[in-house]
Amino acid sequence: MSYTLIYSQVTGHIPYLLAGAWLTLQLACISFFIGWAIGLVNASLLVYGPRPARLAVRAYVTFFINTPLLVQIFFIFFVLPDMGILLSPYAAVAIGMSLNAGAYLTEIQRAGFGSLRRAEMDAAAAMGFSLVQTIWYVVLPHIAKALYPPLANQFIIQVMTTSIAAIFAVEELTGRAYNVNSLTFRALEVFSITAVIYVLLTIACSLALALLGRWLFRVNAKVF
Amino acid sequence: MAFLALDGLSASYGGGKDVLSDVTLNFAKGEVVGLIGPSGSGKSSLLRALVGLLKPHAGRVTLGGAPVDYGNRESLRSARDRFAIVFQQYNLFQNMTALRNVAIAPTLVKKRKSAEVEAEARSLLAKVGLGEKFNAYPDELSGGQQQRVAIARALALHPDILLLDEVTSALDPELVGEVLDTIRALHADGMTMLIVSHEMAFIREVATTVVFMDQGRVVEVGPPTQIFDAPQSPRLRDFTARILRH
Repeated sequence: MSYTLIYSQVTGHIPYLLAGAWLTLQLACISFFIGWAIGLVNASLLVYGPRPARLAVRAYVTFFINTPLLVQIFFIFFVLPDMGILLSPYAAVAIGMSLNAGAYLTEIQRAGFGSLRRAEMDAAAAMGFSLVQTIWYVVLPHIAKALYPPLANQFIIQVMTTSIAAIFAVEELTGRAYNVNSLTFRALEVFSITAVIYVLLTIACSLALALLGRWLFRVNAKVF
Repeated sequence: MAFLALDGLSASYGGGKDVLSDVTLNFAKGEVVGLIGPSGSGKSSLLRALVGLLKPHAGRVTLGGAPVDYGNRESLRSARDRFAIVFQQYNLFQNMTALRNVAIAPTLVKKRKSAEVEAEARSLLAKVGLGEKFNAYPDELSGGQQQRVAIARALALHPDILLLDEVTSALDPELVGEVLDTIRALHADGMTMLIVSHEMAFIREVATTVVFMDQGRVVEVGPPTQIFDAPQSPRLRDFTARILRH
């Protein structure tokens, strides 16, 4: 096989690709934060909610964890219009990813709720803390710290998952890489540059999350 | 009149077998009481009951002449105001520095001024030999240091009675000494203490009264010389014989 690398035909498109990376980050953030909120409500319901609510949450989680994200988004994008709900590709992907992440983040946060430290709560009670004071000063900081690493992990997963949007012609990083490839037919150059941008993006996110974690919760996250 | 009186105190976890059974004891102010006995004899449960972590189902506790009603919030709060407990596993708040661990309850619960509390917390930490560790988190301290932070935290509450629950059991042997030294210093200051411990030599040294418990019951009470050298009950004789042999 003889293939001559000609990056010069592609380098001009890098700013276009980087703008796509910005959209990637946006989609990851939106779906992560909405998924987080869904997961928080669900996890609270699983732990403290009445039985019907727990069953509903269980059904939701089971459904979204056991079906492919792509199918879920197809459903939102192609089936909902039949019911009169017409969504833009971007919105369909964002909603699908949020609902999907919500299922995973439910499981993660429920585990966090289960990791209360009885001993510290005893100490707080013996010193005369009220229940609210115990929750605010002892329980919540602990849960936040315990949950931070898996939450940060999920965020990185969200960044990768955004590439699925390319299928719906959303011009995030992968979508734009696809466009540049159709234009230049320099597949190796286009997708190697795209891969490098993804790597830089996730390294930057990991670094930012690790530093944030150290600052907020003294999480001893490895930066590299 | 007794400063702290326990009258027929009984308690169980979740309605099971009694872990405290008809415990009656009287202590005077300034006394150092050593609670000894085999594992599961109810020593730790007794301390937990006094701070309201284990609700007694029968009996009475009288502190300074006033009965403590553990079912009543106000009464419980005032009891917790006067007892301070130090746990075997320290139970420090992992998300707070040593200084914050000591200062948080006085500011939050007793509503004292934070500047004043912080100054006191610093001097208490210095007193237990941790003057250099104000800003260290629990996981950055050794077990002995964490236990000394826990003692400083209890002292910051200005308790009338300090409850020490096997405070050296979780420590490496070489760290036990530093914690015992801290307790000796408190003893010298005249602090009233209830000490659950397996350090018999230490109990013999600091205790004014020793209580021997077995299966949730008080078996024998007396001065250390009686308990260790001339035990009256067969159960205690058996216990000391096995312990002092080592």
